[in-house]
This record gives sequence, structure tokens and C-alpha cells, in this order.
Amino acid sequence: MRKIRIPQKRGFYYMLALPALLVLLLFFVLPLLITLSAAFTDGRGAFSLATIIKTFTNPYTLRIMRFTLVQAALSTLASVIIALPGAYLLSSYSFRFKRLILALTAVPFVIPSILVVLGFVIFFGNNGFLNLFLMRIFGFSEPPLKILYSFGAIILAHTFYNFPIIMNLVASYAMHLDTTLEAASYTLGASKVRTFFSVTLPRLVPAIVSAATLVFLFCFSSFAIILVLGGGPKYTTMEVEIYRQARMMGNTAAAAALSLFSILVTGLLLVAYNKSQRRLAQGELYRDEQRAQNRKPASLVGRLLALLYTFITLLFVLAPIISVVVRSALSPAGFSLKWYRQLLALELAGSHMGSALPALLNSLVIATVVAIVATSLGTGLSASIARRTRSKTLLEWLGMLSMTVSSVIIGLGYFLISSQFRVGQSLSYLLVVIAHLVIAIPFTLRAILPAYRKIPLSYAHSARTLGSSAPKAFFSVELPLLKSAMASAAIFAFALSMGEFNATLTLSSATIVTLPIVMYRLIGSYNYQGACALGTILIIVSALVFLVTARPKGTRHGI
Amino acid sequence: MVSDQLICTLNASYEQFQLSANFTVREGELACLIGPSGCGKSTTLQLIAGLLPLEEGTITLGGIDLSKLEVHQRQIAMVFQAYALFPHMDVGQNIAYPLKLRKVARSEQQERVDQLLKLVSLSGYEKRRVDELSGGEQQRIALARALASDPQLLLLDEPLSALDAKLRKHLREEIRRIHDETGITTIYVTHDQEEALSIADRIIVMRDGQVVQSGTPEEIYHAPASLFVATFIGEGNTIDTNAVENDPENDSVLFFRPEQVTAHRGDSSFEREFLPHYLFDDAFLESCEFQGGRYRLRARWKEWNISCYSDHRPKGRRVTLSVRKKDTLIFPRTNE
Repeated sequence: MRKIRIPQKRGFYYMLALPALLVLLLFFVLPLLITLSAAFTDGRGAFSLATIIKTFTNPYTLRIMRFTLVQAALSTLASVIIALPGAYLLSSYSFRFKRLILALTAVPFVIPSILVVLGFVIFFGNNGFLNLFLMRIFGFSEPPLKILYSFGAIILAHTFYNFPIIMNLVASYAMHLDTTLEAASYTLGASKVRTFFSVTLPRLVPAIVSAATLVFLFCFSSFAIILVLGGGPKYTTMEVEIYRQARMMGNTAAAAALSLFSILVTGLLLVAYNKSQRRLAQGELYRDEQRAQNRKPASLVGRLLALLYTFITLLFVLAPIISVVVRSALSPAGFSLKWYRQLLALELAGSHMGSALPALLNSLVIATVVAIVATSLGTGLSASIARRTRSKTLLEWLGMLSMTVSSVIIGLGYFLISSQFRVGQSLSYLLVVIAHLVIAIPFTLRAILPAYRKIPLSYAHSARTLGSSAPKAFFSVELPLLKSAMASAAIFAFALSMGEFNATLTLSSATIVTLPIVMYRLIGSYNYQGACALGTILIIVSALVFLVTARPKGTRHGI
Repeated sequence: MVSDQLICTLNASYEQFQLSANFTVREGELACLIGPSGCGKSTTLQLIAGLLPLEEGTITLGGIDLSKLEVHQRQIAMVFQAYALFPHMDVGQNIAYPLKLRKVARSEQQERVDQLLKLVSLSGYEKRRVDELSGGEQQRIALARALASDPQLLLLDEPLSALDAKLRKHLREEIRRIHDETGITTIYVTHDQEEALSIADRIIVMRDGQVVQSGTPEEIYHAPASLFVATFIGEGNTIDTNAVENDPENDSVLFFRPEQVTAHRGDSSFEREFLPHYLFDDAFLESCEFQGGRYRLRARWKEWNISCYSDHRPKGRRVTLSVRKKDTLIFPRTNE
């Protein structure tokens, strides 16, 4: 039966999208176009493909491209290899620390990259806790693990950051799969091992591919990790090179040309990821309750795995974070809250540390503004997408668009614009806010849209028939139902902004201070303890987000 | 052929009940395990298959105790309620799966797959994908796959409950036919007693984890061992005995089937009932349904409901019913 389209009176909802649309068009699309256009001009401003050709035929560029892809591929591979036995463990057995491990695997979703870098340096560095511990135990005179500032460090840091993600995504998918197929396989004569390889693993492949695509995307766009742990021109990736060309070499045209490549790759990866997610959604019998996992690992293998993965997850996920907190209270003389006192300007501090308090305050203010505005825009956009009858996919796509572009490139856009004009300090901060906003909107959209879709249109309709206007119906009936989704979105946007490093660094001048920027400078000047004090604050913020958002996932596929 | 019987003595405890099921199934029989929801019938099947651990007891098939063996060593095939076909393989690969495990030669695999597809009336389906199949088709493919593993025992766990009534009727006949052609000992779990009555060689009735009666369908129907079995299988009428016998001390319950009740014509051409009978006169007729070949009457006599059949539509709202004493059963009252 053909569905008759009745023209709906949805004017109000259409209008709700306008603020977000305006922001996105004005502050994302426009700067992006300006940035990319810089790639198509020669020195005198005329259209030319010379810059692009020059950039991409340069062997240096090609080496960087290759390195970027190779490190991302290796990191992804390593993450998958480490994650898979863990995912198998989590989905098949129940053991003592299972809940803890599962919870910990969600940590990388909320931790800012600058914190990853710091934790890594503090824990795995030459004078880090791991080496000190090993030296103490085995009596070495030299730190045995010299991994920092090398290719290995990059891969290791990426793996540390990403394998829990794969474990989480694959295990949550696996835990909801119907176990009857395995039972059927047993009754047909296949052993447990055979069943795993013939029946379970093929069904997990789509989830593994999806998670790996996401991780590859993260590793490809990785910035802070490369910047700090890469340690030099030998280990530069695309994003770092874009930053370098724009900020240090003043070669904006080259930076823009490189951005083209970056956007192409990240765009393709996101399309691939979305496709893979949709495949998972169409997949097979999906049970909403988790299958009862009452099997204690009876075999030696199972028990060993459980022990191993408890250890690995704790080591890789928790240890660096704890190290940061511990180190923040250490001075050469032992336990000391000196850095916190300096942070809070209770004590006189060195140059970078002196800007710590203003940085903290700036970050808090910026994050609050971003949280409020991004949530509002995201809510309006969600309402419009959910209630529209036409062009809803276009709108949704537009809302998610800023995810296809790396934060460095977003920052680059603002840098280009601000360098054209004399931009005062307050305007610079405004640009930071806008950059964070643009980055945050897709995430708030992602948090609120599903919740909004669950609200039946009949609620607003009843309110209208009872006498309220469309806006009133929206605010009094629908909005209250979105409270928890909006709170999640706001907290997530807040944490995103607090920890945002890539765009902020790219667009800011030396006078701008936010928490991650000062952390970066402190690391650069080897004031690790100070950086840790700041890092601890970030950890607290991340922990808050984690507690609020990492509840038992109602969504199928993780994020 | 005692040695090829399946003898189960199963003991296991669960939150809801204590499972203590002892029964025997003869070789080649199609036995239906039946009972109310939660009585332990699916659990029993899973215990036999080895998918659940058995606390205490034995599962003897052909003289060998299977309870110590792993699931995949028992040669017991099972068809699940949700079919459990592997979605990443097509129909042919699904059926060939147990053959591949047993390292059967490729050409022989193909032959066997064709054979089995023919057996379940789905020839030509080898290349189809699982998500292209209807419920009934998936069911039959699952059955074919189970048979491909050449089992000594076939377990079917409510295989038809996800299908609509008409398809159920058709498929249960198919299952019976396939059973007869292959001759494999089969245990079939269902909550649908009509299904059980129509295809089983033996019916095992379970309640709260215990086997309450085991026998042929006729035995179960005509000679139920308890009031529970009597009311669970088929339809029945129950009346306190002391309502029809003047014996207030008598605390038992009278039970009889609707088809054994005679509805008397209201006119004088009534034939006297000569055999000893109970008479329910002046019962109030609550409803009369025309079922095509006959009428189904529901009447109320004193405080009891009696249902029965009649070849005519009674005139007026009062009827007289009777049932021969020899067609009734007496059960002690149980606390239901």
C-alpha cells in the first residue's frame, strides 16, 4: 500500500536546525574551503595546481605519507593481535576481575591524547616508574627499557591507547551474539577449538574489521603522540607535518595541500567505518540481554588468559594514569604538593608553571561555554533531523561532517583566518571556543539524536491539541525527556574541550594558554611533575565523563 | 533389543527446581517430552546432549554411559528452537559441516547433501543463503544438517513453536515421515499436547523436574496416572465426586473427556441410558459453538462446568447431560 505523504506542519522543527547550521557553515565549511583553496593558489593568489604537484612529488612528502600509513597499519595490527584473545576471554568466560577489565577498556574512549602522552612518558620513560621498578627488582644500573622517542614508542603508545578499544567493541558485540550456534556446532561433532574457528570467529570478523577501521583512523590522525614521542623529523606523520609547515615554516600552501590528502584518507575511513557499522546492525540474531556467562575458565589456557589480560589491561591502561597522579606529588625531596601550590598560584613558579592557573581557568571557562553551546546546538539539530520529512540524511551528514576533518586541519583554518587580520587575545580565545564547538557538535549530535528518536511524535501532538504552541510543546514535553542525553552530551563536550590539544595548538599564538597547551610546554621543558599536576586535573575531568558515560552500553557497538 | 535403548537417569538441581528425570526410550522410537513451561524438558534435552553439566546420573545409549563424554563426542544431534543455522555459510555448507568434520570425501559430501535435501523436500536449495529462507525451510535445513552427522540419537527442542499453526501441522507430519524413513531414535520436546498425541510413539510427561508418566499416546490419553496428566493432555471435565455420589466423605475428583458425554435431546425420543451413568440434568447451557461437523457445548451444572459435543443444537437454554461411569476416572484431590 503506498504511503500517502501528508504535508506536516513542522516549521518549528525546521527552524531548530538553523543555529547549528549557521555555526557549521560559517565556522567549519567556510574556513575549510578557505584552507583548501590555499592549496590551489600559487604565491600570487592565482589558481594553480603547482603547489599540489610540488608537494606530492616531493620524496620527503611521500616518505611522510608512507610513514603515516605504515605506523597506523602496524599500530592497528598490534592492537588487534593483543585485543583478540582478550575479547575472546571477555565474551566467553566470567572471572573475578571481569567487570573491572571491561570498565577499563572504556577508558581510552574518554582520555585526551595529551594525557596518553604524559602517562606514557611518566610510566615507560627512561626515568619512568616501570624502569625504576625493574632496576630496583633486578638491580640494573641502567634503565633496561629505553623506548621513548622512537618508532617503537609510537607503536607502543598507539597500541596502549587502542587495544582496549578493540577489546571493548569486539567483546560487547560478541557478548550479545546468540550462543545457540556454538551449541549446535558442538552437537554436530565439532570440538570447542574447531567451533571457535569455524563458527565464532567468522561471525566476529565484521566487528573486528569495524573496530580496526576506527583504530586505524585514530592512529592515522594521531598528533600529540607523534609530536612528543616521535622525537624528530624521522618519525613525522601527516598531521604533524601539516602543523609544522603551517606554524613553523610559514608554508601555508604546502600545509593546505597536505590537508587534502589527510581529509581524503580520513573521509574514506569514516565512510568505511559507517558502512561496517551498518553491516553489523543488519547482521544476525541479536539478543538484547547478554548471554549468561557462567563458565569459569576451567582449562589452564582459560585461566592463564584471564590472569594475563587482567595484568596487561591494568598495566597498560591504569598504570600510566596512576603514575601521572603519583608523579604530580613527587619532588626530588619526596612527597610534596609543591606543584599544586604553584598551580594554584599559591607559590611563585617558573615560566610555564606560572601560566598554569590562568590556563586552568581558561580551560574551565572555554569548556563550560562549549558544553552549553554545543549541547544546545546539538539538541536543536537532533530535533530537526528526527522530525523532518525531507533532507534529514543530508542534515545528519552535515552535522557529522566535522568529524571527517582532523582537528589539526580545523585549527589550521582558524590560524589562516586569524593570521590575515590582527587578532587580539580575546578574539583568539573566541576562535578557540569556536574550534572546540565545531569539533564537539558531532559528538553531542551522536549522544542526543538516538534519544530524541525514541520520543514519539504523538507526545508533541497531544500537547498541541491540548493548546500549547509548537515551541512550548517542544520545551515542555520533549526537552525534559532528553535530560539525561543532554547531560551526557554536555559532559562529553566539556571533557572534549578540556582535553583538546590538536586544534588549539595549531591555531594559537604563544600567548594563549589552555590546560593541554601548558602541559605540552611543561613536558617540552622537562618539568614533568608540573605537567602531572595539570594532568591530574584532566584525569579527574575524564574520570567524571567516564563514570557518567561508560555505563553498561545500551548501544550495540560501543560508541 | 534392550541394548539399543536409551536409558536416562538424570539428576541435577537448579534454582527453579530439582530435576530428577528417569525414563527409557526404545530404539527407533519417536518420544515426545511434554509438560508445562518451566518443567525442565528443554533442560533435560540439554543434559542429554551434554550442553549442561550433569550432577548425578547416567545417560546410557546402546549400553554405553555417555555422561562422561564431551558434547562433540556423543553423536547426539540436536535441532534448536531457533534453528541455529550458520549465517556465514550457505545451505549446502551448513549441511556439509558435520560431514567435513568427519573428513568425508568431497564427492560423497555432495551426494549426501543432495540426499538429505531430498529427504526434507528441499532439493536444489544448496546455494541459498540462510537469510533467504523462511522459518519452515530453515527448520528443515537444520534437521537435514543434524541428520548429516549420522547421530545415534536425535533431539528436537520445540522445533515448531516459532511457526504458524498451519505450517506446524504440515511440518510435524514431515518430521514424522522423516523419522520413519531414517529410523533414528528421537526425542521431541514440545508444549503442544496435540502435536505430541499425533506423532509420538511414546509420550513422557514432565512436571516440576519430574517425570510423571510415560506411555503410548493412547495410554496417556485414556489412562492418565494423575489428575495433572489428565487435564494437561487433551480436554477434560472435572467434578467433585461427592457431588454425584452421595458421599460427603469422598474427597476425590471425577474426570471424563468431553467426547464421552452424551447430550440428551430434549424431546421424548430420548433413549434411556441402561449402563450405570451419572446424570447431569437441568444444566444451564452457557455456549454452543458450531464446529462444522458437530456442536461444542459448554454447560454449567450446579457449580461445575461441563463441556461436551452434540450432533444437534439444543433448544432452549437448559440441557441434560450424562456420562457412563465406566468412561470416568477417579483421582484423589491434589493441591494444584
